[in-house]
Amino acid sequence: MDNAATSAPIGTGPSLFRQIAVRLAILTVVFAVLNIAIVVITYSRQPESLAQELLSLEASRLAASPDTADVHEGLPGSTHWQVRYLNQPMVHDPDHAMTHARAALVDWTQRERTSTGHRISGVRTIVQNGQQRWLFMQFEGEGLRPYVPVIWAEILQHAVLPLVPLSLLMLTFNIFAVRRVLDPLRQAEKEVDGLDPDNMAARLYEPIAPREVHTLVCAVNRALGRLEGAIAILRTFTANAAHELRTPLAIMQLGIDRLPESRDREELSRDNLYMTRLVGQMLDLAQADALMIDEAHTVDLADTARAVVTALAPKAFEQDRELRFEQAGDTVALGHDEAIFRVIRNLIDNALAHTSGGSPIEIVAGPGPQFSVRDYGKGISAADREHIFERFWRGDRCASDGAGLGLGIVKRLVEAHGGKIDVEDPPGGGTLFRIRLQSPS
Amino acid sequence: MRILLVEDNARLAELVRDGLDRLGFAVDWYDSIEGAEHAQQVSHYDLLLVDLGLPDGDGLDLIRAMRRRRNSIPIMVLTARGGLDDRVAGLDAGADDYLVKPFQIPELAARCRALLRRPGSSIDTVLTAGNITLDPSERSVCVAGTVIDATPREVALLEQLLRRSGHVVAKTGLESALYSMDAEVTPNALEATVSRLRKRLLAAEADVQIKTVHGVGYALFAPRLANG
Repeated sequence: MDNAATSAPIGTGPSLFRQIAVRLAILTVVFAVLNIAIVVITYSRQPESLAQELLSLEASRLAASPDTADVHEGLPGSTHWQVRYLNQPMVHDPDHAMTHARAALVDWTQRERTSTGHRISGVRTIVQNGQQRWLFMQFEGEGLRPYVPVIWAEILQHAVLPLVPLSLLMLTFNIFAVRRVLDPLRQAEKEVDGLDPDNMAARLYEPIAPREVHTLVCAVNRALGRLEGAIAILRTFTANAAHELRTPLAIMQLGIDRLPESRDREELSRDNLYMTRLVGQMLDLAQADALMIDEAHTVDLADTARAVVTALAPKAFEQDRELRFEQAGDTVALGHDEAIFRVIRNLIDNALAHTSGGSPIEIVAGPGPQFSVRDYGKGISAADREHIFERFWRGDRCASDGAGLGLGIVKRLVEAHGGKIDVEDPPGGGTLFRIRLQSPS
Repeated sequence: MRILLVEDNARLAELVRDGLDRLGFAVDWYDSIEGAEHAQQVSHYDLLLVDLGLPDGDGLDLIRAMRRRRNSIPIMVLTARGGLDDRVAGLDAGADDYLVKPFQIPELAARCRALLRRPGSSIDTVLTAGNITLDPSERSVCVAGTVIDATPREVALLEQLLRRSGHVVAKTGLESALYSMDAEVTPNALEATVSRLRKRLLAAEADVQIKTVHGVGYALFAPRLANG
């Protein structure tokens, strides 16, 4: 119950963002490869257009560098390379070979097979220094080697250029989309961490979208419902069982009291009282677990403490003990009268059971919404302090007749009030339990 | 003193009736609301002991119905219901006392007597604890059969303590009992009166003890209780 604050372990598996990013990257690469393959295959099947592109590419390269020296360098992989500027545009006319044309439309490409490979020739219009010129190019080559630059240019243009921005866009989108889509999951995670076995009515908020998260959260909520039912059965069973035991215990007690006086009767009566006390404490605990305090419950701690002292003083006097009460200032607190009565009663019972020698027990209410119960016993060791509020824990095991539930009831009731218990070492020895409650709003 | 017991557990009812009979109470037992209503039409009772879970309804409904009819008979709830709000619910319904099972006959009898204490009732014409007796009508105190001198204020104080013998009586209650005797009461009047009464009882060799419960009140214990 106290471990609710421990943080959830960070998962060791990859995050959803990374998983999607990796898949997107793989997809992009596959897409790029496919794209490249398609480009290569398409162009290798269409040598004509490949030749056309090659000449256009070379022409634009030459146009960019006005240095005529470059003109004669030629294409890598070409065996014969010829390039020159024309004064007049030439028109390619397959029927009449090359003729001087009168039109401005001049760009043409021709591809021929030679004995060793192919010859490509053609004319391109280029603009150099604002002047229109005509460039005649011709080269011979073998295989695909001369086409490498053009294929590369094509790949760049059709595969890489569109894919880079697309990939970046997808990656960015991935960041936002994943964050956005997972928000409801993160929300649900926070709510699950906040679940408390003491408040089993709490459910997770069910987001409408995404549907996957919605289904998961709904499934968790259904599981919580079943859990709540199981806990309720457990709690009501304890309460009902303890409740049902009260009448038989009463019958037994009255039956024992009717027996002729004897040592056996005394022992039976004592045993029965012990069982009565145990059953009562189990019921008290079950009721404490179910207690809900609302703003309307206010209690005057001094009045309640006086009532407890009034009820327990005769028992204390029987044991030659003394209860002392003192009120220090205003003592109104947010709280349930009967619940606070039980807190004080259990603390006094605990002090009576664990101290002896006629020492008094002091109860102080106030100032403000707090009270304390102090005894002059031998105190509680640091090691024991961790355990005193545990259910069924008894420091001395057999010395007391309690079941070890008293302080557990105290703790649960104070928690239900949003209060705090401190165990202090007061000057002069003994133990002081200080309970701080909330002020009524 | 006739007591009407409404309890559906026959064995428990028998034990309660038997226990109270031995202490001088006359107990009639019925196991349902219907039976209890019928019995009240036929006979007069001084006290009602009611269980809550009855076969033909809730005991609280019986109490509410009786209070609506302006029936002012003292009612004590005898129940296994000991929840945080149950006692208040019982008292709100109109019960005068609320006793959670299991209980012992002496405790039940003491509470019955407290509820039955009325002017003229035979049980408390003379209040007794240990070797002292107090006659409220004559305002006299005897220790071991000998009348002792006591001021009216001391007698009033002793009467209050004897009426709740074995229990703590709140200072405020005792003070108002003393104030009603005398208009001029100093802040220490109660402490002073208790102190004088203690000395007087000690001098007369009374075997009861008046204990101080600091910050709350005083309690008178007869020897058996005081010695455990």
